[in-house]
Amino acid sequence: MFDGDKWTEILYSLGQNPLRTCMIVLAVAIGMFILVVLQGMGSGLQTGVESQFADDAVNSIWVRSSRTSMSYGGYQPNRTIQFKEEDHRIAAEEIQGTTVSSGRLQFWGTQVVVGDKYGNYSLRCVDPEHQELERTELAHGRFINDLDLAERRKVLVIGQTIVDEIFGGRNPVGEFMQVWGIQFRVVGTFNDPASRWENRQMYAPITTGQFLFGGNNDDIGMFMLSTSSDELETTVETAEAIDGFLRARHTVHPEDMRGISVGNNNEEFQRYANIILGMKVFLFFIGGLTLVFGIIGVSTIMSIVVKDRTREFGVRKSLGATPASILNLIVMEAVLITLLSGMIGLVAGVLVLELVATFVDHEFFSNPRLSLGVCLLAMAILVVSGIFAGLVPGLRAARIKPVEALKED
Amino acid sequence: MISLTDVRKSYTTGGQALEVLKGINMHIDEGEMVSIMGSSGSGKSTLLNILGILDGYNSGEYHLAGKLIKNLSETKAARLRADSIGFVFQSFNLIGFKSAAENVALPLYYKKISRRKRLAKAHEMLEKVGLADWAHHLPSEMSGGQKQRVAIARALISEPHLILADEPTGALDTATSYQVMDVLRQVNKEGMTVVIVTHEDDISQMTDRCIRLQDGTILSDGRPVEPSAHV
Repeated sequence: MFDGDKWTEILYSLGQNPLRTCMIVLAVAIGMFILVVLQGMGSGLQTGVESQFADDAVNSIWVRSSRTSMSYGGYQPNRTIQFKEEDHRIAAEEIQGTTVSSGRLQFWGTQVVVGDKYGNYSLRCVDPEHQELERTELAHGRFINDLDLAERRKVLVIGQTIVDEIFGGRNPVGEFMQVWGIQFRVVGTFNDPASRWENRQMYAPITTGQFLFGGNNDDIGMFMLSTSSDELETTVETAEAIDGFLRARHTVHPEDMRGISVGNNNEEFQRYANIILGMKVFLFFIGGLTLVFGIIGVSTIMSIVVKDRTREFGVRKSLGATPASILNLIVMEAVLITLLSGMIGLVAGVLVLELVATFVDHEFFSNPRLSLGVCLLAMAILVVSGIFAGLVPGLRAARIKPVEALKED
Repeated sequence: MISLTDVRKSYTTGGQALEVLKGINMHIDEGEMVSIMGSSGSGKSTLLNILGILDGYNSGEYHLAGKLIKNLSETKAARLRADSIGFVFQSFNLIGFKSAAENVALPLYYKKISRRKRLAKAHEMLEKVGLADWAHHLPSEMSGGQKQRVAIARALISEPHLILADEPTGALDTATSYQVMDVLRQVNKEGMTVVIVTHEDDISQMTDRCIRLQDGTILSDGRPVEPSAHV
């Protein structure tokens, strides 16, 4: 495709008018730079938002209850809605048809004592499946298991903050903690770097919590269940079905948002994802447009080059140059110039993103880097647009009639 | 070598057809050195373009080396030019940013011959026109006569059937013109067919046969007329 002569010719042509060449390199490079930076910013936002959701399983439905805010079915407002294991079981097993679900009974400000250390943390009494739904990453030991539940064992899985504050950072698995004066054994620890709040949690079997700290009944504070790989639409339908079932069962007004609320992580996530996707498309559009202007510039310059060299192309044709070889020469030149200037913009953009990534790390904005795939795509776009930029002037050059070109002075 | 049978060519300008060649019949044998003369507008440039497959014609037949040249695609025409015709132009038409040797080698580039081989051949050709020492000079560093000799070397390098020269001495002084004509005569002696378009009688004198055109038809065809007869 490239040989020595073609290089000579292209370099000569570029060197003929250095100012023109510089301007065009600048135009394409700036276009590429803006495209890259905007895309990087977009993906930074995306990574940030995704990390917010990474904490919880995206494919899950969370059901909470509180006091009613509307009178309904003969009941006054301000009535406390109390979920039972049965609510959880029917919603999970009969409506969604999953075993990956967990009830949760939470006790805030739970006092713990170990030797001369003490503190107040939150105690969450849960089913073993809670680990998957909350995406709890274990650091040591194990999570709550079915046997713990069956035997109402007094075992705890504690967060890193508690490990640090109470155990001085050492591995506490096997050691004992007093929770409200009752001895619990630590069987595992976890660390959730994304959330300081999570690391102040202790997990215990839900049956133990119900027995020791609840009313020795099957009350649960809330429950959550997995929707596994269901489509968003199905998930929304399931959430509505659970909502309807619970409202009927507990006589809650259909529009009472406080009495019962069924949250759908999938839907939330999709909403954010859609916003971000929209933003990325918009950013791509702006960046792409800037790049297009650069490419149009290349095309214009190439047209001028072709006009300047009309006679030369005529001579070449008389010496046996085929139209294809002339077209090839022009297109190659356009591709070379777009590719080189695009690379400059790409590298500059990536450098700026690296710099931004070093200094900015916010909840909703982190790691604004470009993947290799995006870079390769950008290169492909450059080559293709270079071809397009060269095509129109190249075809004009290829169509030059030697007779007419030679007549010109 | 060249055979034209009732070749006609007209241009349309502003809706009016202007007939430039009104039925040309001519034959040029291999190894001939022919000049084509005529005043401006006589159709001699058009005829040269047709002979050089740079331009088409409307009716009639043109055979080059036994091959009918008619309605060729651009690509085919380019191939034929590369294979069978060498051009020499009035204004030399060397490529400014290429050295003499690279200019001479250019036709072989379009015949896909390797750079090393074509540069070797180019040096050989430059030697033939007496410019071996100028191989690495740019055209801008050379005199008109030297440039035209480079152009002749370029025309010869692909070993064509035919050299077509369009006013090859038009931009040169008399002494240089004669030098260039000497080179062309030399080339002809080696067996190459040479066709020269000129309006200068003394140049025509140096060819073996002169075809005079007037208003798109052949006025005369024969030995070049002695200059004295004209004065």
